[in-house]
Amino acid sequence: MISDPYKILGVSPDASDEEITKAYRKLARKYHPDVNHGTEDAARKMTEINAAYKQIKSGTTSQGYTGNYQEQGAGRSSSGSSGQRDPFVFGFNPFEGFDIFGSREESRQQRNNSFEYDQVKSFINAGYYEKALNLLNNITDKSAEWYYYSAITNSYCENTITALKHAKTAVQMEPYNREYLRILNQIQNGGRVYQQQSREYGSTMGNINRICLGIVISNLCCMLCGRPF
Amino acid sequence: MFGYVVANLEKLSPDENQRYRSCYCGLCKTLGARHGTMSRITLNYDMTFLVLFLTSVYNREYTEGNERCFIHPFKTHDYWINEISDYAADMNVVLTYYKALDDWTDDRKALSFVEYKFLEKEHKRISLQYPNQCSTISSCLNDLSAIEKSGELNPDVPANCFGKLMGEIFTFREDEYAADLKAFGSALGKFIYIMDACIDLKRDIKKESYNPMIMTSSENFTTILNLLMADCIEKYRLLPVHQDKKLIDNILYSGVWTRYEADSRKTKESDKQ
Repeated sequence: MISDPYKILGVSPDASDEEITKAYRKLARKYHPDVNHGTEDAARKMTEINAAYKQIKSGTTSQGYTGNYQEQGAGRSSSGSSGQRDPFVFGFNPFEGFDIFGSREESRQQRNNSFEYDQVKSFINAGYYEKALNLLNNITDKSAEWYYYSAITNSYCENTITALKHAKTAVQMEPYNREYLRILNQIQNGGRVYQQQSREYGSTMGNINRICLGIVISNLCCMLCGRPF
Repeated sequence: MFGYVVANLEKLSPDENQRYRSCYCGLCKTLGARHGTMSRITLNYDMTFLVLFLTSVYNREYTEGNERCFIHPFKTHDYWINEISDYAADMNVVLTYYKALDDWTDDRKALSFVEYKFLEKEHKRISLQYPNQCSTISSCLNDLSAIEKSGELNPDVPANCFGKLMGEIFTFREDEYAADLKAFGSALGKFIYIMDACIDLKRDIKKESYNPMIMTSSENFTTILNLLMADCIEKYRLLPVHQDKKLIDNILYSGVWTRYEADSRKTKESDKQ
């Protein structure tokens, strides 16, 4: 937790959402590694700025749309489907025959959260992914274990990017935890297989405008209207 | 956000090339016939893919022809069409209509006003025939606009929203394929949205506009995009592919990367200078 995220963004604590976002984007323009071919200092500064913005937003953002879309995700994933649809790409059940809490020394905090993680597990097994996510969001101690469960839950909710990010974070925090590594590999594996198959096609040097002059014209019109498509 | 689902022309056989081109021409012709000549301007490759894909899943027949058009007045071109071309043409118009309406409402772009007014009558007719698609497209675009305005930091949220829109477009009708088509369309939509965001990131940072990938290191972009396409392929495999499998594979395994790879090449060249 940053003690004064507003100071980092250069805004007052009672600045509006819009002012905060504007300040963040102004700083991003200056320090983001993708636009300033960063020095290490700039990259460090950007990490700090990102953390500050995230902290402020997670305190004030309405859960409305996130809630909706998690709900959508949960609804979609938990309803029966016509084909066999396993959101965990290669049919992996992360809870099969593996006791997370094995024989590890547990701190009191971990023991307190054990009950909640057991509940998360139950929700996932029953297909109540939104409930699992809500429970996870109520746990303030974001341990490696939290990121592990979040990765699994988000994967089931088709929040692919979040699942990958959180699996990576779990592994970063506990690099020797084989189970966390296994989840990360499981999540990444589908992408690697696809990438290999894609490479076999060879890269695209293509000029897609060769099909029809019409598409060149319509692209020009798109640019004129200023619309993204 | 469109024009990503294209073929890698260099890897197609001459026959496949012809087939792809004819599909495109067929869709253009259908647009002109159903919605007026000017509507042909809204044509994009992604809707061409929609025709190809749904024709394949439903194993539809098609009518072939050969004619001149106002863009090619001297040489005739082959085309093929079926009722799916009709559907894709309608969806094309609906997407364009709602996007123009959005742009007019949010940004007061004059050309968007002209565009949405021009398509209003057609949109009304189409929404009677396809109420599900139209209401989903409309609500998703509204939601997407709100999500982007709120500065949502989790890229999955807007991506899933756009995915829902595409999923609905791929759901030709409520039948035994509907759920799987929706899932496939959603996965493809997610990929398109995120790839568009990755390509636009630098520009958006400079313009200080919203981009969901701003907090993601660009080193991870390719991994993320591969993961999203892997998910799409997983859904693709659940559907029957009766025709044009090689062409569809070309698009999904190679063609979809065209703009991303072109953008990466451009970045590498400008970095060298």
